[in-house]
Amino acid sequence: MSAYDLVVIGTGPGGYVCAIRAAQLGLKTAVIEKRATHGGTCLNVGCIPSKALLHASELFADARDHFGHLGIEVGTPKIDVAKMMAFKDEGVSGNTKGVEFLLKKNKIDAIHGTARIAAPGQIEVKSEDGSNQVIEAKAIVIATGSVVAPLRGVETDGKVVVTSDEAIALPAVPKKLVVVGAGVIGLELGSVWRRLGAEVTVVEFLDRILPGMDAEVAKQFQRILGKQGFAFKLGTKVTKVETEGGAAKVTIEPAQGEGEAQILEADTVLVATGRIPYTEGLGLDRIGVKLDERGRIETDAHFATNVTGIYAIGDVIAGPMLAHKAEDEGVAVAEMLAGKAGHVNYDVIPSIVYTNPEVAAVGKTEEELKAAGTAYAIGKFPFTANGRAKANGTTDGFVKVLADAATDRVLGVHIVGPHAGDLIAEAAIAMEFGASSEDIARTCHAHPTLAEAVKEAALAVDKRAIHM
Amino acid sequence: MSEEIRADVLVLGGGPGGYVAAIRAGQLGLDTILVEADRPGGTCLLRGCIPSKALIHVAAKFAGMEHAAREPALGIGLSGPPTIDLAATMLWKDGIVDRLSGGVTALLKRAKVRVIRGWGTMRDGKTCEVAEADGSTTTVRAGSVVLATGSEPAALPSLPFGPKILSSTEILSLRERPRRLAVVGAGYIGLELGTVFARLGTQVTVIEAADTILPGFDAELAAPVARWLEAAGVTLHLGTKASGFRETEEGVTLALARGDGSVEELTADLVLVAAGRRPRIGGWGLDGLPIDRDGPFVRVDETCRTSMTGVYAIGDLVGEPLLAHKASAQGEMVAEVIAGRRRRFAPAAIPAICFTEPEIVSVGLSPAEAAARGLKTKVGRFPFAANGRALTLEGGRDGGFVRILANAADHRVIGVQAVGTHISELSAAFVTAIEMGAVLDDVAATIQAHPTLGEAFHEAALAALGHAIHA
Ligand SMILES: Cc1cc2nc3c(=O)[nH]c(=O)nc-3n(C[C@H](O)[C@H](O)[C@H](O)COP(=O)(O)OP(=O)(O)OC[C@H]3O[C@@H](n4cnc5c(N)ncnc54)[C@H](O)[C@@H]3O)c2cc1C
Ligand SMILES: Cc1cc2nc3c(=O)[nH]c(=O)nc-3n(C[C@H](O)[C@H](O)[C@H](O)COP(=O)(O)OP(=O)(O)OC[C@H]3O[C@@H](n4cnc5c(N)ncnc54)[C@H](O)[C@@H]3O)c2cc1C
Repeated sequence: MSAYDLVVIGTGPGGYVCAIRAAQLGLKTAVIEKRATHGGTCLNVGCIPSKALLHASELFADARDHFGHLGIEVGTPKIDVAKMMAFKDEGVSGNTKGVEFLLKKNKIDAIHGTARIAAPGQIEVKSEDGSNQVIEAKAIVIATGSVVAPLRGVETDGKVVVTSDEAIALPAVPKKLVVVGAGVIGLELGSVWRRLGAEVTVVEFLDRILPGMDAEVAKQFQRILGKQGFAFKLGTKVTKVETEGGAAKVTIEPAQGEGEAQILEADTVLVATGRIPYTEGLGLDRIGVKLDERGRIETDAHFATNVTGIYAIGDVIAGPMLAHKAEDEGVAVAEMLAGKAGHVNYDVIPSIVYTNPEVAAVGKTEEELKAAGTAYAIGKFPFTANGRAKANGTTDGFVKVLADAATDRVLGVHIVGPHAGDLIAEAAIAMEFGASSEDIARTCHAHPTLAEAVKEAALAVDKRAIHM
Repeated sequence: MSEEIRADVLVLGGGPGGYVAAIRAGQLGLDTILVEADRPGGTCLLRGCIPSKALIHVAAKFAGMEHAAREPALGIGLSGPPTIDLAATMLWKDGIVDRLSGGVTALLKRAKVRVIRGWGTMRDGKTCEVAEADGSTTTVRAGSVVLATGSEPAALPSLPFGPKILSSTEILSLRERPRRLAVVGAGYIGLELGTVFARLGTQVTVIEAADTILPGFDAELAAPVARWLEAAGVTLHLGTKASGFRETEEGVTLALARGDGSVEELTADLVLVAAGRRPRIGGWGLDGLPIDRDGPFVRVDETCRTSMTGVYAIGDLVGEPLLAHKASAQGEMVAEVIAGRRRRFAPAAIPAICFTEPEIVSVGLSPAEAAARGLKTKVGRFPFAANGRALTLEGGRDGGFVRILANAADHRVIGVQAVGTHISELSAAFVTAIEMGAVLDDVAATIQAHPTLGEAFHEAALAALGHAIHA
């Protein structure tokens, strides 16, 4: 068997993109994936299925709640969960087949099976059918991603107490859903089932939702979700989940100090308290690859682990657990292995919550700037004063631009509002260029677009918004 | 009754050009008067961008429900097909227009701009006589004058406007859905409004003298829209002129003259003439002023100065592109110029959006325009069919794509165009890249969130560099 220049373990967005870039640069490349389909968490059980369900459920909620005043009569909409899931599955298979096609097109050998690194440069692959093979590689990139973090004291059973893996495939709309964890995944999937009619209660340990995102944005967003019927138990911890006869009793207590325990009844409990890096079965301890205190593979600025010839990218290393971060690292490591200069700018990684309205952010939050002692100016603009938002009847939310008080350089942009996820692209490009708020303010924005709110927020940094 | 008042700045016309100029002037401490015959807001807010986009929104929702009723692919079942009560839709739309116009009034007030409602006539370069509704006249004298009288629908000699031959203004306030609508002119206004009615169930026929739809956008961008229109049952008569009409009991019968000399008849309940707009240059004393023209438009320099000292002009009155954000950008700038700041109107790019299905965005040069200038370019394309977000939004099947154009020698991005479902909001990212002087590698190096439509922009830049990942 001839040796590969590069073998990538795992074909999530980090792994498959890394392999494609390496092949483009002329490296003889193979990928190993234990799942039947490529695309990893993101395409199989993450970004893509959740977004398909968010899209479909939004249309349903629209039809139910928001049409009468537009002059549209639609009768009573009914939901067919099985069909909605079929729509989602079609989206997933379209995407995973796409990756399969891309791998083939780039002449990458795709091997199915579970990989174990026997030694630097040597990988053992165990297939479903039990057969084993050994593959030689000059370089190995570990892109094994992440899995759902277990919650201490709570057993998931995949039916009543579930993770996101099952919450994207429930057979019916639960009457009562308890979501443990008010992060992105909990709020997105909570939204799906809320729109379809579930009563949703979100339990969060911290006293705020969307930890890590700008606090003001999170606060406004919580208010909006509240209007949609979400119930929140913040500063609260789950101490016990008991299941009986297809239902659950969730015991909650104040996160801090003393307080009465309370019991929430639920048909479904979604545990969404985060994800942890996945390195099981890779044999890392045997070959001495170092992990950090949170179980992430330690890498240097070039994605190299402490063992020569072994690299790691994506959710399995430090940094935000986001598909595009994984992809960018994949490209960078491929370019470095091919002798080019690869680079990832960690200061400008956008993140999006695909709820309605959406939340999107890039750069620093106010809290981060305060903690760093950076003096900053704020420009804010509400969507209630934006023409397109009015014309679409979607005026919840605002844009916030944070700029350096001395240099006017944009340090962060935070949006809660319609299409926030599309709007953040502009902010990312501007920040990649080190733009000032004045640069954004002086760029001609098309009318009528929601993006005009970004421009107005930039104007507001200098206290000269026009439409406010 | 006649009164004379003075101000630093007089703005004639309260559209997106004029009202923005007035607000900015007020912010800068200039004593400013705005003269407007109607409520503030102009064409854009009262009978253009905003009402049209509101109807486009409703029509899109309606079509979504129809789709769901016909084939419940998303698992949403409806007890019956949706119905539309256009009068109720118009009430909702009017409410939005009222709120926005009221908002502009409040903004003008906050900026301490005095608004005089009435028709203004320029007597000289510093004096405007305003005829108010109550019959009184106010004479305004100002150190600087900003002309922002905008534009109006152009009539066709063969099809004068009447009760059944409408301009965009009337069609935006129809209380009842016509059964058959003939749209004369396949520019963006005609197609946006034609699409609205086609989606609501009207039988729409489009008549266009040129051989292509959307002459403002190139053929590659227009093709997906043409395909959508055909699939939606809209009949396109290209290379055809509406040469005459006859009112009948049934509606209006148009004579359609084809390039080959043949003539055909078409009967519709209503006709929308959307054959372009022309600057509003009559009826307010322009002819009496020594102001140079540029064709039908008022000629201005980079600072929006006319040939007459102290007289500036902005917006649709001064020429292409006839777009609200161009008018506003000039308005903002001209106020700063009058306040003594050094400013020029020299945007690297002005975005243009066509809110059809799918939507089109164009920023900077198209490949044909670049070729006409003799530029050597690199072009990258990326199809939305290969974009995950497009698929989850049920897009991607419409032939949409992003196209990026850069100088071959230094990779500087000189144009970005896109066509696809929901892509209008990407326009800001495209303009920002061009304004920042981005090269292809910069766009390729910027991380776009996953899954978003913006990833297609990133991939198009990679494609131009020869190494797209997802294609
Ligand atoms: C519900 C949900 C929604 C999400 N939504 C978004 C979103 O909207 N946007 C976003 O940016 N991110 C989102 N994410 C996060 C995103 O999915 C991850 O950040 C991304 O998938 C990480 O990519 P990766 O390549 O590092 O790892 P993964 O996608 O986790 O891929 C790792 C792959 O490695 C394989 N593997 C592991 N071990 C082995 C082995 N020993 N041998 C062979 N194969 C192995 C696994 O089977 C898997 O296919 C979401 C996640 C979830 C759960
Ligand atoms: C159906 C339609 C859709 C459109 N959609 C878009 C779009 O999506 N995006 C976009 O960018 N553009 C769009 N436009 C174009 C946009 O409306 C114009 O470019 C914009 O309104 C021009 O602004 P303006 O300030 O120059 O003039 P106008 O908006 O025309 O305003 C001129 C104002 O001056 C007043 N006026 C004129 N003369 C006098 C006088 N003598 N005394 C007192 N008042 C006077 C008029 O009453 C009017 O209010 C659309 C236009 C139409 C018709």
